Amino acid sequence: MDETLVAADGKNLRAVLCQRCGCRVLSAGTATLATRELLLPSMKKKSSLADESNPDCELLAEHWLVHDMFTFENVGFTKDVGNVKFLVCADCEVGPIGWHSLEEKSNFYVALQRVRHE
Amino acid sequence: MAKSYDHLFKLLLIGDSGVGKTCLIVRFSEDSFNNTYISTIGIDFKIRTTEIQGKKIKLQVWDTAGQERFKTITTAYYRGAMGIILVYDITDERSFENIQNWMKSIKENAAPGVERMLLGNKCDIESRRKVPKERGEKLAKDHGIRFFETSAKSSQNVDEAFNALATDILMQMSRRAAHGLKDPVDLKSSSKKGSNKCSVI
Ligand SMILES: Nc1nc2c(ncn2[C@@H]2O[C@H](COP(=O)(O)OP(=O)(O)OP(=O)(O)O)[C@@H](O)[C@H]2O)c(=O)[nH]1
Ligand SMILES: [Mg+2]
Ligand SMILES: [Zn+2]
Repeated sequence: MDETLVAADGKNLRAVLCQRCGCRVLSAGTATLATRELLLPSMKKKSSLADESNPDCELLAEHWLVHDMFTFENVGFTKDVGNVKFLVCADCEVGPIGWHSLEEKSNFYVALQRVRHE
Repeated sequence: MAKSYDHLFKLLLIGDSGVGKTCLIVRFSEDSFNNTYISTIGIDFKIRTTEIQGKKIKLQVWDTAGQERFKTITTAYYRGAMGIILVYDITDERSFENIQNWMKSIKENAAPGVERMLLGNKCDIESRRKVPKERGEKLAKDHGIRFFETSAKSSQNVDEAFNALATDILMQMSRRAAHGLKDPVDLKSSSKKGSNKCSVI
């Protein structure tokens, strides 16, 4: 974990950007670091599995957590997959970059490994 | 926590299947990532931040599927929408004629004061044009709404159109505020539909 990313109070020191196109997802100081193991489908261009309903997944533990979806500067929400909506870049739709469960109305996670920092 | 923005506007895209609604909310359609998994699930809505007249505005833009035409489109989508973007395809006459039906659907389902805007999309393929620009202009004028010809492909007029609609909503809000009226779309208020009928002009 890179310390230049997190302030003493756990907030993000730097803005969160799309890895691919640089679109601004979160401004600095708006999200809190949270550790939680979440399963996110691969960001690979084409799933190596033919079955799209069962894509490759990756277990990710470090996330930026926000409690109000309108904290996001720019983001896309997928349609429901079971009880989950995935988050994608609003401009180029690369993703999933994050995770939201319909059972936890005010938790929105963005995986550190799937974004870059300003 | 203090709100980090001044206003939140919910916008809805409607129109026949294939007119380009989904492409209109993907800003760089040519350049988009096309992850097979994401395109299979589909995008429900996007949140974008923009600044208009010095105000920080959050736009929540909802896509809808044109196939669920007219009747089955869920009123839940219309509920809370402050701006509705009606889209037709300039190369598809039928999609233009159907705008009347979409207008009817808005009247039946959306809040009375909702801002509307008409877009003639796919203006990059002039060679296949079926609907003259004047017809779009006339229809918009008859309904007293804004009109743009857009191309989701070249992004011509796309940002302009979204910003124009957001500006109209902002202006309507300040006009209403000046007259001490409530916003036409207020999720928290339990006031009955149609209680804001008096003219503000
Ligand atoms: N040339 C051109 N093609 C476009 C434009 N916008 C969309 N298309 C194409 O039109 C087709 C349909 O676009 P969509 O955005 O999926 O249409 P839609 O309105 O979302 O359709 P439904 O989801 O079925 O209601 C796609 O093949 C797009 O590539 C445009 O501005 N120019
Ligand atoms: Mg669509
Ligand atoms: Zn991106």
